[in-house]
Amino acid sequence: MEEVDNILIHALRQVGTEVGEDIDSVKQFSSELIVEAVVRCVRVIEPSLGSVLPTSLPPGMSARFRVGMSLAQACQDIGYKGEIGYQTFLYSNEPEIRSLLMFLVEKLPREHAEASDQPTGKSVVLQRAIAAAIKAQLAVTWLPSNCRLPLHGETQVNSLELHFDCFHVQPLSLPQCTQGLGKKQLKEMKDYQRDILPPVTAQPSHHASVVASILEQHTAELSAAQEWDIEWNSQGLLSRLTPQEYRCRKQTRLHKRIVEQLRSAVLPSPESAFGGPSSTSDLSELLQAFRCTAPSDHILTKGTHFTHTQKFTFTQVRSTMPKYDSAERNCPCRKKSDIQLRQQEELTSVQQQFQQLCTGTMSSRSTIAQCTCVLVQVLDELKQRELGNCEKEERMQVKKKTINLLPDADNNLLKLQALVESSAKRVVNLASQWEKHRAPLIDEHRRLKEICSNQELESSRKLSEIKSLHDKIRVSTEEAKKKEDVYKQLVTELENLPQDASRSAYTQRILEIVSNIKKQKEEITKILSDTKELQKEINSLTGKLDRTFAVTDELVFKDAKRDESVRKSYKYLAALHENCNQLIQTIEDTGTILREIRDLEEQIETENGNKTVANLERILDDYRAIRQENSALAAKVREG
Amino acid sequence: MVDTLSRVPVTDCVKLCHRVVDGLCGRQRPSRRDYSTIWSPEEWLDLLNSLTAVCRLAVGNNSSDEEVLAGLSGVGSSSHAEAVLSVLRARREEIRRSLLDRTNSISSATLQDFDWQLKVALSSDKISSLHTPLLSLSLDVKENSALRSFTMEMNREELNTLVSSLEAANKVVLQLK
Repeated sequence: MEEVDNILIHALRQVGTEVGEDIDSVKQFSSELIVEAVVRCVRVIEPSLGSVLPTSLPPGMSARFRVGMSLAQACQDIGYKGEIGYQTFLYSNEPEIRSLLMFLVEKLPREHAEASDQPTGKSVVLQRAIAAAIKAQLAVTWLPSNCRLPLHGETQVNSLELHFDCFHVQPLSLPQCTQGLGKKQLKEMKDYQRDILPPVTAQPSHHASVVASILEQHTAELSAAQEWDIEWNSQGLLSRLTPQEYRCRKQTRLHKRIVEQLRSAVLPSPESAFGGPSSTSDLSELLQAFRCTAPSDHILTKGTHFTHTQKFTFTQVRSTMPKYDSAERNCPCRKKSDIQLRQQEELTSVQQQFQQLCTGTMSSRSTIAQCTCVLVQVLDELKQRELGNCEKEERMQVKKKTINLLPDADNNLLKLQALVESSAKRVVNLASQWEKHRAPLIDEHRRLKEICSNQELESSRKLSEIKSLHDKIRVSTEEAKKKEDVYKQLVTELENLPQDASRSAYTQRILEIVSNIKKQKEEITKILSDTKELQKEINSLTGKLDRTFAVTDELVFKDAKRDESVRKSYKYLAALHENCNQLIQTIEDTGTILREIRDLEEQIETENGNKTVANLERILDDYRAIRQENSALAAKVREG
Repeated sequence: MVDTLSRVPVTDCVKLCHRVVDGLCGRQRPSRRDYSTIWSPEEWLDLLNSLTAVCRLAVGNNSSDEEVLAGLSGVGSSSHAEAVLSVLRARREEIRRSLLDRTNSISSATLQDFDWQLKVALSSDKISSLHTPLLSLSLDVKENSALRSFTMEMNREELNTLVSSLEAANKVVLQLK
């Protein structure tokens, strides 16, 4: 019975009945709890019936009686076949309540249980709810914004508000302490950060863009750091440079590249006519645009050839501008048309002048380019000639010396020979010395070379190790992620599991019960066959007895007529037979009486189980209460 | 030009200059309403433009303090010039970054900002239940110094195409480096 009670209590809890933790069988149910459970079940099964029923018992006795009657009626309407009345609820007994609750729980709609079982059902329910909400919102008529009541505010949003919902990013200024560790921070910067810089939340113009701006800044920093990390791991480590050196090298490389690109874009344009479609590439068009229309404050931070020329152009233009300004200011009180005419004229003249200036700069630029070319050529030539000059001067000096030696030729020859010999000796000497020094140096050199190659080998080995470690780290992080995912999935599955587990336990239990029942059935059939055999034996024995008695009776009766003693024995026989019959009858009677006694005992037990005495007392109490209520009412009526 | 700056006390001058630098770096500019009693509209515009130009020139040419002071010689009192110089010193790095950003966005159209929303279409006029996720992406593109907003709505396949083409573009940029 415990299993059944557990299932019942579980189902009742799911319906919404508040069954206490300490209650684990139907026996412990109070009247209030029974009424609540039944009403909740009825509400789920048949909402129209259940909605009029209260979930708790009222205090008045007659009202309780009425609630019990209506509940019993509702249960019968649902289809409960068993005996039911107000007494079922007010003066409960365990088996009746159990059978009623079992009936109600079986009647509970199936999909309710399924919906709680399946995780996919939840999203379907959610989507259905969303669809219903949207349908309801669409059903509401649209109102202009100033006619709206506050309750419409949530669903009807005008386009302006929608526009404000967009996120926009604005640059933020954050004091960075980590950067300033190496170099000392400027005092002005500190003052600025302490006194004037507003907090991050006050920096953007709209409050809505605070979060977006902060997120954007952090993402930018993070992605920059990641990119650097990847690049450093893939290329930086292999180049065997420190990070600063690597950065430096990359910067110079990029700088060179950009300069080349710009130069190649700038160079062809002077040859074509001014303003014409010099080339179709975007960059050169852009540069053209810069050259013609860019305002003077557009200053590129990198000082390329191109920016210098640009600056040059615009300082010229700016210097010509004030003239016209002053001319304009001198005549403010002319007629409108006059002014317009004048302005037009001025405009055309200025444009003409501007064009002239532009063409002038163009031509002068081309001449400058030519001149620089020529200059470079000339400089090269000059260098070559200087080199030639040096060589020639050296040769001349040698010749001068020989000419000086010519007058005293023999002596000088001898001297020279001696000199040559001594120097030859010295050379030999030096060579031997050099050999002496050289041998250890060469050894040293070889040794160092070997060490160097060893170190190189080791460093490359370590590099490969580092690389493999990086790979391993990546692989293991991926694995960890995967495993975490699997873990999460398993946890969610586990959360959904317990109900299934209990179900399998139940089925197992049911199977056990079924097998038990089978065993019992076999035993019963065995006992039945035993009784049948016994019955047969008894029948055959009684038959035998009857027949033997009849035969003996006849024989003895025949002799009894002749012999006195035999007559006596016949009397005894008859008495014996009668007594034996009586005995058998008595034994049979005891058997039936014993069976009756057992039946009665069982009945007593069930009656005891029904709490008859307690219920009777309660009925008596309630009866008294009703009588009191009635008398009080009667008194009221009399008073009224 | 900047000579009208001496009409405010030095502390206000420092604040104003910081606001001007804020405007230069893409945040809110100083509003004329706060200073309408001090400068007329033309003077105000003039002052703003010249201050911005001073900042750009000083940082862009990486000029020394003396050069900046020489450029500010038009300001009446030397304390005002000193104030501008201190602001410049404090914000040099920020201004440099914003100038670099300007240089980076040299091409004809640059992406300034973007925003996205994920939506689920529950049903359409023909299909009653249609659970299709849709991404509405809005791109703020600066084209010839005018901000234009492009908004598009994509389903999953279209988004995949966009992402793969953007990745290809990124690869090209990486090869340039």
